[in-house]
Parts: sequence; C-alpha cells; structure tokens
Amino acid sequence: MSQEKDQEIGQMVMKALGRVIEPDFKKDLVTLKMIEDLSVKDGNVTFTVILTTPACPLKEEIKKACMEALAPIAGIRSVDIHMTSRTTGGGAREGKAEIEGVKNVIAVSSGKGGVGKSTTAVNLAIALTELGAKVGILDSDVYGPNIPMMLGINALPKQVNNRWFPPKAYGIPVMSMAFMAPPGAPLIWRGPMLHGIITQFVRDVEWGELDYLVVDMPPGTGDAQLSLAQLVPVTGAIIVTTPQEVALSDSRRGLAMFQKVNVPILGIVENMSSFHCPHCHHETPIFSQGGGEKAAAELKVPFLGRIPIDLSIRQAGDEGRPIGIAQPESPLAEAYLKIAGNIASRISVLNSEFTPITLGTLA
Amino acid sequence: MATPSPKHIEAPDSRSVRIVWRDGHESLYGNQYLRLSCPCAACVNEWTGERTIRESDVPMEIRPVSWHLVGNYALSVGFSDGHDTGIYSFEFLRDHCPCPSCHPKTR
Repeated sequence: MSQEKDQEIGQMVMKALGRVIEPDFKKDLVTLKMIEDLSVKDGNVTFTVILTTPACPLKEEIKKACMEALAPIAGIRSVDIHMTSRTTGGGAREGKAEIEGVKNVIAVSSGKGGVGKSTTAVNLAIALTELGAKVGILDSDVYGPNIPMMLGINALPKQVNNRWFPPKAYGIPVMSMAFMAPPGAPLIWRGPMLHGIITQFVRDVEWGELDYLVVDMPPGTGDAQLSLAQLVPVTGAIIVTTPQEVALSDSRRGLAMFQKVNVPILGIVENMSSFHCPHCHHETPIFSQGGGEKAAAELKVPFLGRIPIDLSIRQAGDEGRPIGIAQPESPLAEAYLKIAGNIASRISVLNSEFTPITLGTLA
Repeated sequence: MATPSPKHIEAPDSRSVRIVWRDGHESLYGNQYLRLSCPCAACVNEWTGERTIRESDVPMEIRPVSWHLVGNYALSVGFSDGHDTGIYSFEFLRDHCPCPSCHPKTR
C-alpha cells in the first residue's frame, strides 16, 4: 500500500476521532488534544489516547467508541490503541504552598464523627491505586488518627535533613498525626501547634510523585477543620455521611465550611447504607435510606455513591488489610472503585475548568 | 450561591488596588480605604465588632508592599505601615466594593 494511501487514512482517522465525544468533558478527543502519536503503516493504525487520570472509569468506553468510529474507514487493516494518562493538576495550586510532587489533593470530611470517614478515606485511596493512580494519605484527624492502624503500619516516618520520609503500606505513603504523639497519650493539639504540624506535613514531607493525596480531615466543622482547609491546598472535598435525616444538616455544615474557603465539593458519599444479613439475606436500613442522595440533591452537589454496612469492612480495617486488598473482587471493593472513578472524573473536569487568579506585582 | 472569585488582582498605581472578578465586575479600592477596612483582630474588636483603627492612624500615602493569596478564598496584604495581619476574604472584598452600583450610599 502506498504512502499516500496511509496519509489519507491518517486524515480520515483524525476526522473520525474528532467525532468521538469524551463523556465527562462533553467535547471530542481531538479538540481535547487527547490523541497522540498517530501512525499509519500499510493500513495498520496505531495511536495513543491520553486520559486526564489513570483512574478514568471511562477508559474502556472511550476505547470502544474509538474502535467504532474507525470501523467504517476503508483500507484499515488493524487498529492498535494505547491508553495512557497524564494526570492534570491545577485546582490545588491556587494561592497555597504547593505540595511538592502532588498533583491533586482530595479532602475527605464529615459533618460529624462516627460516619466511617477514615475507613472511606483509606478504601478510596486503595481503590484509586487499583485504578492505576499514585496515591498518598495524609491523616490529619487530630482527634483520632487511626489510618496507620487501618493500613497495618507500625513504622514511623524517617527524618533526613529536615525532610520526612513517610512509611508506606500497599505502595501508599502515609503521614499521620498519630506519628506525632506516643500511643495512648491524649491528643490535645491547640491551634498554633496544629498549624505548625500541618504546615510541616505540607512543606517537609517527601511524598514522591502523586496523582492524588487523600487527606483524612478531622470530623466536624470547627476550628481545626477550617485551619486545615486553609492550610492544605485542597483540589476538592468529599463529604461522607450516613443515610439518616440528621446527615443532611451535618452535610450542609460541611458544605458551608468548604464554600467559605472556596474549596469545590466533589460530592457526597453515603456510608453505612444498609445491612444485608448474611444469613437470611434480608436488607435492613439500620440508619435509614437515601439520606446521602437527598442531601446531595438539596445541596446541589454530585452524589458519588453508597457503601453498605458490612462486617468485613470493619474487620479488614482492624486487621490492617483494607477490603480492597483483602477481598479485591468483593461487591464492597467494587463500590469503592466506582466512587473512586467518579471522584477522578470530577477532578479532571474541575481542573479543565480551572483558571488561576493572577496577582499583579507590587512596586 | 457561589462565593465571588477574582480573576485578576493588581495595583494599577500607587493609590489603589483593582480586582477584576470572574463575573466581569471590577472593583477599585483606595489604599487607605483598604487599610481602614482591615478585618483583622487588631483592627476590629472581636467581641463588639467595633472598629478600633481610626482614620487618623493611617497615613494618606499608605500602600500595599507585599501580598499573597490565602488558599482559594482570600488575599493577605502587608501595608507600608508594617501592618500585615489582615486576611481579606474575597467575599469580604466583594461586599466592600466601593463602586456606586455596589454601595450607592458610600462614595
């Protein structure tokens, strides 16, 4: 086959891909500059699709849409599509000291304690890792920092030349308030101390290259939470809630706090959704039903998904082997993967819409 | 309701600070007005809300000498009189826009 023919096919391929719409951005792949390294040789087409997150839940869908778009083009012998990603950052940068190497910061918060916020943070971090992203966890829960326990971490961070090297579990580097106090000692962080430690976590920790840093926030909407939201360059926040009616008022507080400091809300996760009895398979909505979805609708933020109450989530956490590691094929792990994918998509869209505030120089 | 967000903040001359907002609105703050509006605890009594800074305390030729953005929500300004504890949230700045359509009664 001639070179001219290959060239012609190449043009037709680009034209066809220009009609494939990315479902999150609602624009075509060519406009979004997602197509690279197109080559056609003897009718064999190869190209790369650059996604904005390795955790893209639409990976297969986009690939399939490309294949379908190219199907009618005459002269194509084979199509080989590489899917890769370049995680976008941006939202986190505005105004705050950037965390070196960290592209996006996700704050996991809750309007009140006891809703499973830390469990959700850990499992979402695992799920994002499973989806192919590089993830770290900053456990900033000043009242009960127990992420290291949930991940089975016994080591402490190493300090070299004023840089902290966090311990890792399942490839995830973890910094925690728990490292800052002996076990069993009461945690009484006063404002300025907290400020100092969080500043250190942001400035002096060697996170490595991360697509997402998941920050486990202290529960509630008080002073500590506000300082954190101000100090840490958060790309977006998720609010974890239980399904009962009071969840709405608590979520509203959480939402208002983040709005106060202009942090976008990625959405609401409903935890402890309902209990499936393993014996009689009866579903019991212990904490009622649908509260998270209702809260999301009323507060006009996305609903990211629900996680059922399941003994194995708690057991896995206590053993230091989160459910995504202990039972990666379970419906629970699936539920976390789905939510993680939703979060990754939301962040990509946010970053694409983000334009920084420009600050003029002073004479 | 979305919190107002600036697109661009600058000091167009030695007398004022200008903010161009994302919704297209423009605010021009006189330096002295900005310094006198400082919402920090040293300038406003935290219990009563009473303003403790007086106009006579602020020189006419005051101007910002340093500034940085605070998170996604505020501007921190250091003034030529050495005062640098004011954090002006964008919401506050928009509320205090001195233009005639925002504040028909003041200036």
